[in-house]
Amino acid sequence: MPFPPTVAEAIASLSLDREMRDRIGRISFRDAGHGFDTFGMHPSFVAFGASVLGPLYDKYFRTISHGAEHIPDSGPTILAANHSGNLPIDGAMLWIDVLRSTEPPRVARPIADHFVPALPFIGTAFARGGMVGGSRGNARSLLDAGELLMIFPEGVPGIVKPFSKRYQLQTFRVGHAELAIRHSAQVVPVGIVGGEEQMPALLASRRLGKLVGVPVLPIPAIPLPLPVRYHLYYGEPIRLDKDYRPDQADDPDVVREAAAQVQAAVDTLIQQGLAERNGVFG
Amino acid sequence: MSAKRQKSQGVLVTGASAPIGERLVRSFLDDSRIRHVIAVTGHPADAFPIDPNDRLTVIQVDLKRSRQMHDVLFGPARDLGIEVVVHTAMHLSAMDEGNRVHAFNVESVRNLLELCERHPTVQRVLLRSASAVYQVQRDLPLLIGEDHPLNMARNAPQWVRDRVEADLTACVRMGVSPLEITVLRMAEALAPGTGSQMFDFLQSPVCFHPGGFDPMVNLLTIDDTVHALSCAIHAKTQGVFNIPGADTLPLTTAIRRWGRIGIPTPDNLLGPLYRLRRRFTGSDFRYGMNRRWFIYSGVLDGRRAQEVLGYVPSRPVAWPAATTTSEDL
Repeated sequence: MPFPPTVAEAIASLSLDREMRDRIGRISFRDAGHGFDTFGMHPSFVAFGASVLGPLYDKYFRTISHGAEHIPDSGPTILAANHSGNLPIDGAMLWIDVLRSTEPPRVARPIADHFVPALPFIGTAFARGGMVGGSRGNARSLLDAGELLMIFPEGVPGIVKPFSKRYQLQTFRVGHAELAIRHSAQVVPVGIVGGEEQMPALLASRRLGKLVGVPVLPIPAIPLPLPVRYHLYYGEPIRLDKDYRPDQADDPDVVREAAAQVQAAVDTLIQQGLAERNGVFG
Repeated sequence: MSAKRQKSQGVLVTGASAPIGERLVRSFLDDSRIRHVIAVTGHPADAFPIDPNDRLTVIQVDLKRSRQMHDVLFGPARDLGIEVVVHTAMHLSAMDEGNRVHAFNVESVRNLLELCERHPTVQRVLLRSASAVYQVQRDLPLLIGEDHPLNMARNAPQWVRDRVEADLTACVRMGVSPLEITVLRMAEALAPGTGSQMFDFLQSPVCFHPGGFDPMVNLLTIDDTVHALSCAIHAKTQGVFNIPGADTLPLTTAIRRWGRIGIPTPDNLLGPLYRLRRRFTGSDFRYGMNRRWFIYSGVLDGRRAQEVLGYVPSRPVAWPAATTTSEDL
C-alpha cells in the first residue's frame, strides 16, 4: 500500500463513529505477527475500507439490508451472491454490510478471480481489506480457519453480462458447492438487487481487457455509476453438509446439483427483491 | 531401534562451516541426546571455530568429490556409529553457475544418498531444501503446502533448478530407500551466509521494489532453522516438510523494519536496475529470480511440520529498526 497502517487508521478514525471503530476492533483476526494476517489483511485497512465505503453505502447507494441475521455468528461459511454492474460495487456493498450487520462482527473474505491479485495497487488494496485470490488452496485454508467467504459463483460472465440480461443468473460455477460440502461450510445465498442498473455498458471487449490485465473490459455508457438503491437479501443458510457427505465433494453430479440448489436460492431472493423494490432509485 | 536412537545419536553435519551448519553443530553439542557430531566443512578443519573434542570430530571434505565423502562415511562415520546425516550444504551465490556448482548442489546429494543407503550405521538423512523450489504465480494458493507445484520453469536460473533437482533427488527415494529421508523446505533465512536473496536485497540502503505490489513474505531466522532441524532429527518420521519462520509481513514492511528506504519502481525497470547494482556493488541479488515472489504473495504453510515434527516458529527476526515499527513510519 502507498501508506502504512497508522495512516489508514488515522483516516478511518476521522470518519468512522465510535461504535464502528469498536466493532472493527472486535473482528476475529489471526495476526501472523506484524499486524497482518497471512493473506495480508490488516484491521486498520478494514477500518479504512469501511470509512471509504460507508458514505457510498449510506448516502450514494442508500443500501438496505434484509435478513443479515441469517449469517452465522461463527464457523466456516460461504456467502454466494449474484454478480453484476461492470464494477464490483456489489461486492463492496456486501462486504461493508456484513461488517456492519454481523454480531460478533465478521469480515467477509472476497474470493477474487486470479487476475485481481495481479492488478497493481488494486490487488494489494483489496488484500488489505480481506480479499484473497481465487485458488482452491486459499479458500480451503480460510474455511479450515472458520472464516466467512464471499463468492460470486457466476464469476466474470456475471459482472460483464449485457444490460439486456440483467437479473438473469449466468451458470453458477461449482467450486463453492464443492468447498461447502468438503469443509462442512454453510452456504448463505445472497440476492443483490440494484447493481445491474448502476452502470450499463455499451460493450465488453476481451481485446482491450487483455491490454490492462483483465479478462474483459466493459465500456460503460456513463462515466460514473448511477445512484441506484442497493438491496441485499440474505437467505437462510443452506446446509449442504447435511445433504451430502464430504467424500461426495468429488462427485461431479453432486456438486452440480448442490450448485444448482444455491443458484435457485439466489434467484428466488433476486425475484423477491425485484418484486419488493420501489423502482431502481427508490 | 527407535528408543535407542532417542537415547543417543551420532550425527554428521555437512556445510558445518556456514552459519547454519555451525549453529547446528553447537546446538547438537548442547543436546545430551546427541552422542557425537562429525562436522564436515569445506574449509581446513583447524579453521573451524569449535575445537574438536570427545564429542566433536571436524573433517574437511570437498563435497564435489564423491571419494572424499565416501571415505568419511565409511571411515570415521562408521567407526563412530553415525546414524543421522544432516545435509545443509548449498552453494550460496546466485551468480555462480556451471558444472562445479551443479556438482556441489545436486550431485553431492545424489552421491550422499547412494552412500548412505549402503552404509552400515546411517539410518536417516535430512536435507535442507529451500522455499525457492516452489512456483509462485497468481493462480496458485498464497499459502504454500508441501504439495504446491515446484518451479520447473525452463528459464529458471541454475540456483533455482539445482535446488529443485536436489530436493526431488531426495524425494524420489522416499519409501524405496532403506533410509528415512526428510526434506525440510525452509523459508528464507534473513541472515548473512545463508544464501538468502532477501538478505542481499535488504543490504542496500535503498530498496527498489515493484510499484503497486506489496506481497506477503515469510522470513526465517538461523535459530528457527536450527530448531527445525533439531525437531526433525528427533522425530521418528520421513517426508517433506515446510519450515516457515515467525515473521510473516508485507515486503514494504520488511524493508522499513530493516531500516531501509523502499522505492516503488515499475516492474520492467527493476531487472536492469538490479543488474546495474550488481555490477557496481557486487551484490548477489537477482531480481529476475525473485520477481514473482516480489509480486505475488507466497507463504509457507507449516502445519505439517507442526503436527508431525513438533516445529513451531518461535524465534522472530531481530529487526534492526525494531524500535520504530512500520506502523510508526
